[in-house]
Amino acid sequence: MRMIVVGFGNVGRALIQVMAEKGRELRDREGFSPVVVGVVDDSGAAVREDGLDLKVLASLARRKGKVIGYPGARRRDAAEVIESTDADLVVELTPTNIRTGEPGLGHIKKAMETGKHVVTSNKGPLIVAFRELDSLARRKGVEFRYSASVGGAIPVISLARRLMRSNEILEIRGVLNGTTNYILTRMEEEGIPLDMVVREAQELGIAEKDPSLDIDGVDTAAKLLILHNAILGGDARLRDVRITGIRRVRPEAMRLAREAGYTVRLVGTARRGELEVSPKLVPVGHPLSVGGTLNAVTFRLDLAREISIAGFGAGPVETASSVLADIVEIHHALG
Amino acid sequence: MIVKMVLELEDIPGQLLKALEPIARFGGNIQSIIHQRARKTPTGRVPVMLVFEIGDRARLGKVLAELRSRNILVREVGERVYMLRSAFIIIGHIVHADIRQLVDRLNGIPGLMVSDLSLMMGEPGGESSARLSVAARDRESLQMAVRSLEEFSRRKNLLLIPSAEES
Repeated sequence: MRMIVVGFGNVGRALIQVMAEKGRELRDREGFSPVVVGVVDDSGAAVREDGLDLKVLASLARRKGKVIGYPGARRRDAAEVIESTDADLVVELTPTNIRTGEPGLGHIKKAMETGKHVVTSNKGPLIVAFRELDSLARRKGVEFRYSASVGGAIPVISLARRLMRSNEILEIRGVLNGTTNYILTRMEEEGIPLDMVVREAQELGIAEKDPSLDIDGVDTAAKLLILHNAILGGDARLRDVRITGIRRVRPEAMRLAREAGYTVRLVGTARRGELEVSPKLVPVGHPLSVGGTLNAVTFRLDLAREISIAGFGAGPVETASSVLADIVEIHHALG
Repeated sequence: MIVKMVLELEDIPGQLLKALEPIARFGGNIQSIIHQRARKTPTGRVPVMLVFEIGDRARLGKVLAELRSRNILVREVGERVYMLRSAFIIIGHIVHADIRQLVDRLNGIPGLMVSDLSLMMGEPGGESSARLSVAARDRESLQMAVRSLEEFSRRKNLLLIPSAEES
């Protein structure tokens, strides 16, 4: 499988490292030999039609280097590399922009239009143009996978696809943002107010400098939207999600909830055409009552009643594991 | 199940205790006691309305037998099967929001009862938190309560945190 990796940030670097480390295993177990013919980031592109040296790339990744640091790399535009390089697959891992979807949206379209399969972890293009991309992929007869965009390492979408073979999915509920879940967990454990926990989370690198996308529920809404459109169908937009974040949640409220056997979690709930993100009381011991930075998703089904899945929803290596699984699955799907 | 019972007690000390003891003995959990002094009977007895939760009908029968043997007059027994329980957290300037009005409105919903209300104040001037527990006869009553709470919270600018099961 000849691939172009677009984006060399945390996930891109982790993916290269994992593929370099697991090369033999992937070959022996999956019959899959990754050949990276191109890597692109905003510094430039390294392209070699017979495959870049994964060991050299991995060492560049370890040093957190830019692509331009690869021998022979030069300044080139990602779209141009995607268009002009002979490859089977494009892995789109640039940063998320939830308003425009760019630059990922352009990259994905270019890849599909030139007949390349696409794997992405980038939420932006999926939020802005899921339906369009999904039909473009069908029209062009290419595979389009995006497991890593929701739930990080957890195979939420593939589980859903499996369940849908026999069940109707009536409702999806999820704790989809590790940062807010960490904040709520700490608030509950320590009885300290939100702003103090946020500072702690920032010091630990769990929360970003500006944590408002997490705290105000927008990140959860984005992931919920992807699950809704990809699993329940339809073409909902971010503006269709009713969003309430956790800014007003207080330690006293957590305590009152606990006394009654509940914990407070930021829960995204989707039924077809109906999307909501807001803090909810979750019974202690319920699959959605996960602590720390964990994520969890519960499907309500007509036959199997309820099925839940939990795991780490973020982190470069965790996310890369999900990207790699999509790549290997495409390899198998193509036979 | 939850039982609502109206007793007529003599207006002398110790009568209430005499009535409550059998309920406790058969595992009942008393949720509210309301003296209806304004409605004293012509014979001078005071109606007292009790709401309690008890395991099953057999235990309720034992309670009733025991009350009879103690010469306590049971005027009414309303047995309600409140199968569903739920809780809500409300955050905001609750004390100013006339929460009494909310409780009255919820209790007015057929088949629904507010079984607990706990309040914790925030720092002075800050927002407070309250937990409101309800027992409902069916999903429909509970849905009405959710809608009523949503409307109240919107109007009073409170953050309502319902149970994930009820929304």
